[in-house]
Amino acid sequence: MEPVRGRVIRVTFNADVHSSIQWHFQPQQSEIFVVPGETALAFYKAKNPTDKPIIGISTYNVIPFEAGQYFNKIQCFCFEEQRLNPQEEVDMPVFFYIDPEFVEDPKMAKVDLITLSYTFFEAKEGQKLALPGYQ
Amino acid sequence: MSTAMNFSSKSFKPRPPDKGAFPLDHFGECSAFKERFMECLRDSGYESGACRQRAMAYLECRMERQLMANEPLEKLGFKDLIDEKSEAKPEKL
Repeated sequence: MEPVRGRVIRVTFNADVHSSIQWHFQPQQSEIFVVPGETALAFYKAKNPTDKPIIGISTYNVIPFEAGQYFNKIQCFCFEEQRLNPQEEVDMPVFFYIDPEFVEDPKMAKVDLITLSYTFFEAKEGQKLALPGYQ
Repeated sequence: MSTAMNFSSKSFKPRPPDKGAFPLDHFGECSAFKERFMECLRDSGYESGACRQRAMAYLECRMERQLMANEPLEKLGFKDLIDEKSEAKPEKL
């Protein structure tokens, strides 16, 4: 995979928590400039400010919707339960790249901003996130 | 807004990450590497391409501490940085 140098994309980061979970969750950078075909690292962080362990599970969204198919996460913290002990704060990395095929898609010609949005929910024991296409 | 006409063969569904989830770095073992990376991002105006050495160093830290499955760095998009490293290495006697 080769980077497509001429096509800089601004990736911005959004963080949400569902009202059910008392974590503080935020991105560690508001934006990062990437090119398709080159892997990139970014960080969120989460803190459990309570006196009880809390297990969270997150899902993500990509805006614009049509850009999501080109957004490839190599590794992140999503879809699996993450447990934070009382007062614990952790870094949460996302390692990703934008597929070079992005630049071949005429629908993406005017897209120079992609927003990655993660939302954390409180996980109940044995809960599985029901996501289309993910068992 | 989506329409019923979708000629694209790909469609977006939230997908799990290729290599799964990072275990949490509960003890902050790689925090220093993260800090160096973030410092680079701030200094470079958040240009990801300028900070790939430090990104690679962070991931190497994780791998060394079993906080990430071992993967050859070339396969994580760092082939050019690895090639540079090996070219610069002096001959060991």
